[in-house]
Amino acid sequence: MSDEDETTYDDVYAALREVIDPEIGLDIVTLGLVYGVTVARGEVVVTFTLTTHGCPMERVIRSAITEVVGRVPGVVDVTAKLVWEPHWHPGLADAGAL
Amino acid sequence: MTPVNAALSLPLPAIGVDPGGAAVPAPMLPGEHFAAALVFLVIGALGLASVAGELANGLFFVPHVIAVVHLITLGWIVTSIFGALCQFLPVAIGRGLRWPTVAHATFGAHVLGVALFVGGLATGHPALVHAGACGLALGFAGFATNLAVTLASVRERGVTWWALAGAAVFLVVTPIYGVILALNLQGGALIGARRFAVVAAHAHIAIVGVVLMVIVGVAHRLLPMFLLSHGASERPARAAVGLLFAGAALLAIPIGDGARVALAGVLAAAGVVAFLVQAALFFRHRRRRAIDPGMRLAAAGLLGLVAALVLAPIALSRGLADLHLLTTYVAVLLGALSLFVAGHYYKIVPFLVWYHRFGPLVGTRKVPTVAELYSARIARANGALLILGWLGLAVGLFLGAGALVRAGALGLTAGAAIEAVVMARIAQRRIA
Repeated sequence: MSDEDETTYDDVYAALREVIDPEIGLDIVTLGLVYGVTVARGEVVVTFTLTTHGCPMERVIRSAITEVVGRVPGVVDVTAKLVWEPHWHPGLADAGAL
Repeated sequence: MTPVNAALSLPLPAIGVDPGGAAVPAPMLPGEHFAAALVFLVIGALGLASVAGELANGLFFVPHVIAVVHLITLGWIVTSIFGALCQFLPVAIGRGLRWPTVAHATFGAHVLGVALFVGGLATGHPALVHAGACGLALGFAGFATNLAVTLASVRERGVTWWALAGAAVFLVVTPIYGVILALNLQGGALIGARRFAVVAAHAHIAIVGVVLMVIVGVAHRLLPMFLLSHGASERPARAAVGLLFAGAALLAIPIGDGARVALAGVLAAAGVVAFLVQAALFFRHRRRRAIDPGMRLAAAGLLGLVAALVLAPIALSRGLADLHLLTTYVAVLLGALSLFVAGHYYKIVPFLVWYHRFGPLVGTRKVPTVAELYSARIARANGALLILGWLGLAVGLFLGAGALVRAGALGLTAGAAIEAVVMARIAQRRIA
């Protein structure tokens, strides 16, 4: 990862903290819903999950990720990739957050 | 990859437009059900206050008291359940109701049916009662068909699917019993204890086969989601679905004697116990320490269900011989179900409004959380009034104290009115 991509990586994580799960009231990073971020020449892939299968928030959170990450300087492309493995569990949230 | 420029240049969905496609249905369908149900609850609670004297004297089987009871059961509880299913199916089984237009029509038939049926009973017009029964039967059958067709198209069949499938069956059976009773009000052969047996079967097929079955199915998805509960065994819920279905099916068989009814009662009670165990496991395994007002109210409903379970065998075995106990049992049971349903309004309605009004704006500006759409303080006061109202009503009925019954019913009316106003205000929330 280039220095520029590394800066972007940190900024992307910071931006993702703006995406709040409206039901729980915490951001998706604190909740442990973000499984990974990759940055390559400004192309960002955010791998995320949801608290439960069938969670109706998928499109809202996906579009919010695209929106906030898209505003990060240096980002040219955003992919928000939803995965179900590994299953999310509350232990993935920051300690004491819940 | 989504090119950023393209993503940013996409017009935001207009407020009120569903940004999630099939994930969450348009708000109108569940919304009209919830609005009507809350109106029925307020009128029903007022009705309870107006018949407090008769209720306290054990005069349960008089037409205008039966009318009030049906405002609560058909008007409030069943309409809420229909609305919740319209909202909940995409989350629960991954597919919305197959025919939303039919659901609007069945809603119309159901609401008109309740109004005519209750109005006919209250004013002593049998023709209205029959017309209302037809509307209700049409509404039940239409909703059951819609639900069954929707369920048939889903391959993954878990606890929730089976619970809802069972409910669809009894949505058809329940009005059949209702029609038999309506015909008997015109001087049919069922009188005295025999009529009581059919009334009790009708009420319990509806409550066990439809209401509890839906509650078990819905709770199985919603409680873990709302409580962030993980790691709880799901076996009790599976047992609950099987036992409740078996109990309601045995009750519905119109032949046999007391042994069949007793076995049906044991199976249904075991089903309720299994459900309560499952709910307790979800609460115990929750990772969310704070319980919000909606879940508190739902938990109060579950405790009420425990009380109903204790009262049921005594009240039903004594039957008409102890009308005070019988009416107390009915009040406790309907109160428990009402509190559970009322609690879920605080989860479902704010989410529905948030999703359609604020969801499209996430990431573009600061939006409130779901919990910020209403005042927790008012919600707690609302819950307390509903709980105290039902409690006063039940204790008053047990003691035969008309003043306490009326006070409880008025508390309940106040609670119902506050809930209706809170929900209406939530529905009006828009971004500043």
